Amino acid sequence: MSAMLRLLFFVVSLSPTLLLVTWDGSLSWALIDGIRLHLTLTPLAGFFLTLLALAAPLVALPMLRRPCDWPSLVLYVLLLLGMQLLLLAGDFVSFFVGWEVMTWSSYLLLLRSSRADMETSQSFILFNLASAFLLLAGILVFFSLTGDFAIRSLAEPSLPQALTLLALFGLAFLIKVGTLPLHIWIPSSYDQAPDAFSAFLSGSVSKMGVYGLILLPTLFPDALASFAGRFLNGPAFGYLLAWVGVITSVVATFKAISQEDMKRLLAYSSIAQVGYITTAVGVGSSLAIAGALYLALVHTLVKVLLFISVAGIVLQTGQRQFKDLGRLIERMPISFFGVLIGIIGLAGMPPLPGFAAKYLVFVSLVDARWLLLLAAMILASTAAFIYCYKLIYAPFLGHANSPGAKEAREAPWPYLVPQVILMGLLVLFGLFPGLAIDVLIDPVLVGLQMAPIGAESWAKLTTVYGGYDGVVLMLVFGIAFVLVTGLFLLLRGRMRRAGSPYDLSFAGEVPTADTPLHYGAGMGRELRRIPLVGWILRQGTRGFYLGLAGQMRAAAALLGNLYVGRPQAWILIAVVVLAASLAARAMMGGL
Amino acid sequence: MMHAVVDSLAMIGVSYVMGFLFYGFYRQLNARIQRRWGPSIWQNFFDNMKFFFKSETLSHGPMFFFGPMIIMAGAFTTVLFVPFLKDSTWLQGFSQYGNLILIIYLLVVGPLGNALAVGSSGNPFGVMGVTRGLTRLMGLEVPFFLGLALVMLQHETSSVHAIMAAQDGLANWGIVTNPVAFVVILLPFIAAQNASPFDVVGAPVEVYAGPRVEFGGRLLGVLMTQNMMMSIAKLVLVVDLFLGGASNVLVLIAKAFSLFLLTTAISMVFPRLKTEQAVDFFWKVPLGIGVLAVILTVWLPSWSA
Amino acid sequence: MYHKTQCEGFQCEQAMLEVPGDAETVREGVLDKLIAWMRQRSLFVLAYGTGCGAIEMRPLMTSRFDAERFGIIGAATPRQADVLVISGYLALKTLRRVIRSYEQMQEPKYVIGLGSCTINGGMYWDSYNTVKQVDRYIPIDIYVNGCMPRPEALIEGFVALQQRIKQGGKAGYHQYRENIDWYKANQRKALGEEMPPAYTYDWYHAGGVA
Ligand code: SF4
Repeated sequence: MSAMLRLLFFVVSLSPTLLLVTWDGSLSWALIDGIRLHLTLTPLAGFFLTLLALAAPLVALPMLRRPCDWPSLVLYVLLLLGMQLLLLAGDFVSFFVGWEVMTWSSYLLLLRSSRADMETSQSFILFNLASAFLLLAGILVFFSLTGDFAIRSLAEPSLPQALTLLALFGLAFLIKVGTLPLHIWIPSSYDQAPDAFSAFLSGSVSKMGVYGLILLPTLFPDALASFAGRFLNGPAFGYLLAWVGVITSVVATFKAISQEDMKRLLAYSSIAQVGYITTAVGVGSSLAIAGALYLALVHTLVKVLLFISVAGIVLQTGQRQFKDLGRLIERMPISFFGVLIGIIGLAGMPPLPGFAAKYLVFVSLVDARWLLLLAAMILASTAAFIYCYKLIYAPFLGHANSPGAKEAREAPWPYLVPQVILMGLLVLFGLFPGLAIDVLIDPVLVGLQMAPIGAESWAKLTTVYGGYDGVVLMLVFGIAFVLVTGLFLLLRGRMRRAGSPYDLSFAGEVPTADTPLHYGAGMGRELRRIPLVGWILRQGTRGFYLGLAGQMRAAAALLGNLYVGRPQAWILIAVVVLAASLAARAMMGGL
Repeated sequence: MMHAVVDSLAMIGVSYVMGFLFYGFYRQLNARIQRRWGPSIWQNFFDNMKFFFKSETLSHGPMFFFGPMIIMAGAFTTVLFVPFLKDSTWLQGFSQYGNLILIIYLLVVGPLGNALAVGSSGNPFGVMGVTRGLTRLMGLEVPFFLGLALVMLQHETSSVHAIMAAQDGLANWGIVTNPVAFVVILLPFIAAQNASPFDVVGAPVEVYAGPRVEFGGRLLGVLMTQNMMMSIAKLVLVVDLFLGGASNVLVLIAKAFSLFLLTTAISMVFPRLKTEQAVDFFWKVPLGIGVLAVILTVWLPSWSA
Repeated sequence: MYHKTQCEGFQCEQAMLEVPGDAETVREGVLDKLIAWMRQRSLFVLAYGTGCGAIEMRPLMTSRFDAERFGIIGAATPRQADVLVISGYLALKTLRRVIRSYEQMQEPKYVIGLGSCTINGGMYWDSYNTVKQVDRYIPIDIYVNGCMPRPEALIEGFVALQQRIKQGGKAGYHQYRENIDWYKANQRKALGEEMPPAYTYDWYHAGGVA
């Protein structure tokens, strides 16, 4: 019985794949008079459905491990269905329904974790509800403009209309994406969510915000190229968005460096990565959108991989703080390679696909002549090396720091299978940077009426600014590595393995098990001495929100003054309001 | 195929020989400035060979062993992706398959691979050194990349070949047509070479030699070799971008050497900065110049147009 | 002046151990000669400076004496060093660190004993806490005597060491490897409880091949 149910669940988790393969044409029916629901798969939605199809079964596997939590499985199915509805939606009603199903089922899934506390779940649901209501308001404004719910480009919106729409939708999606200062629900909820589900939250659910962010400009004619004029060689409004994205990544990167918990670090790095995507969307050229999509692809693969590896570590050791782990490289070698490939992708190192994505974004920034943005982005992506190193050093290298870490064994296979598959995918996309362009990204660009990037062969990434060849790169590196190792071993002389992990040059001392030798928790602490970084780390959005709450309270008190006990005052107010509105109408030439 | 193999070997050979001779010269010059005789110009070669022929090498496990191999492979790859000559079929390696941004990232691949080895040795001093190195990298990369971006913008390409080809004749050299970019990258470039005053990371008296603390014997020889080759790759890259490239090996050596002299002259007279001082410096002075350059060369022309 | 040609007392233990030179019988190829030559041109020095003689180590590297012209330069950690210079007297407490540092160096490795204290205790000959004769604990290749020896003397010592290396043959580290039990017994006698843990040296017995 239970086995059947598990199988069924796994099949449902494959449903995005099935949908992707079998869906053709579109579905459309009248809901009520004049309002038609419309399900269709645009190329853009198809891309994000592919990401979902990649992530869903891989996250489902670890969730299926006994003893499994049946309510979470049901919620996960619901979540998947909601997200598919969201992606298929050709009208805003189904879009909104999908959005709400996604929000609530992920909220309830978050609550299934024993670690979820009140504050986290509250901030999660508050922010996501705010996002949903902003979306709803946006949809209503849209309906009042077009008289229709279908998602299509507005004919000739006036500037205020466009700005209202942009603000409402934009805020809704930016909350989901988690840019500064709307990100505060992310770190704690990614951290406290059930371990496997964090992978899905970061890998897939956040991508829905990105989907919305790219969908949004398609509502306006030519918005990607020139909303509100041009700045240098790109859209002026996009410049603003791009700075929001870049500042998000810079701040989130430094925050990530200062974290002491693996999942929190990953959560902040997730914010930073989505910040890059936001930047790329802001640039809006075809290179940049290709870069944004590529980044989204890589981020999905990498974050699912990393969160599942970390989930395996937490499962086997019971520890999640950097200071409590160490030396797992010998005990969990496959997870080590998982994290290794993951951070190489995350840091955007060649030859893995993270580099191809970053390359596209960098080149698009040069093309748009937004060099200051480029510099800021380089800052974030170089600082990311530090947290990447922390992520692999503290759990896997150094010295084991707790009994859990000393006795851990390799994670069980439901954790390893997804890792191996994802590593394979990452290496594949790295070898063939043109593959993702050709198969996944160019159709979307064509669908958005942009110039496709084009790939002369799958091994090559080609842009007008030049490109590179993934296969040659990998071959050169591989051959060099084999040659160097071979030559080294040919040299005379013995290699000797150190007799003990404590056999260190330690100023003539002999360290023992009690000597603090693990540098995991302290790494990155000294960064605070750099004035800029110190300043960033001292800031918090807490003050901002406290201030907001204070203002709200003051406004409420002001409003409360009106509610005095005397009925005369009430009547007076009513009369004044009535008279004022009548006067206004009369002046506008109504009545 | 045969050509590619011979060409690659030649590039590796040239960069190695240039590497130890340049460093030998550096030590010699440094000594003369301090009124000493100094070692012979071959000293770096002797040191390197001595390490390669040490009869004992300690290892802390497989990852520790593979780290130096990765960094060496990274150095080879970097050298092979930087075109040494222009208008020539020789000393090109695989540079037509790469670009400037790729090279900049390749420069970091090796050190990061080695950082894994440092971590797996379990020596906290080594990891401290790695963190310092990464911190310095974070500081220097921002102005360095901004300067390179100015060059990429000037030529509207990220291909080193195209940038080199555009600089025919002295008047078209990058250093003449885009002097601000050169000024912006100069100091970060010195730091990228791990030269004084930004050499806090591997300096012998700083946290116990930093990342190299556990490496000895032949592994240290490997680290030394890759360091020399990597330095030459960076020098040649800057020659390609700003000094118009070189059409034969002698010109290449001459140009690289003059650039080396310039950086050496700067690094010999300044005392070492702390890591955070260095980062702060990079974000103030070179980056400040970079921002000014962007405003002057990119913003203003587009507004006045 | 007291000048001894024969060993006396406990010093004979050492003499008995010294196998009469098979250095001459070792046939060396061209490659070995070349390597030996490069080795002697490049000596990285780990200066162990606890004794008062250490004060003479500093000028060695500066402009006046400039040891770098012989290829001699300081190393930061024992892993990178070729030559250990023990500058002066060793207390029992520092002996342990010296042994540790010596064992962490990678072969080929050499030791220079600086000052009379390393030879026979020097002016601390009757101290309760000072090691009288360092080569009972680690093999010393070159002694530079004097109290304290001038940098010129030290340079001469280095040059003598370079000659030895160039000629090839057995050096101190061979002796240490072959007579590890004798050295360890002496160390254990001196250090007692403070003896470094077994993993630091037991690979000498295992043949040490990883
Ligand atoms: S030999 Fe003389 S100078 Fe050297 S340590 Fe002994 S007492 Fe000091």
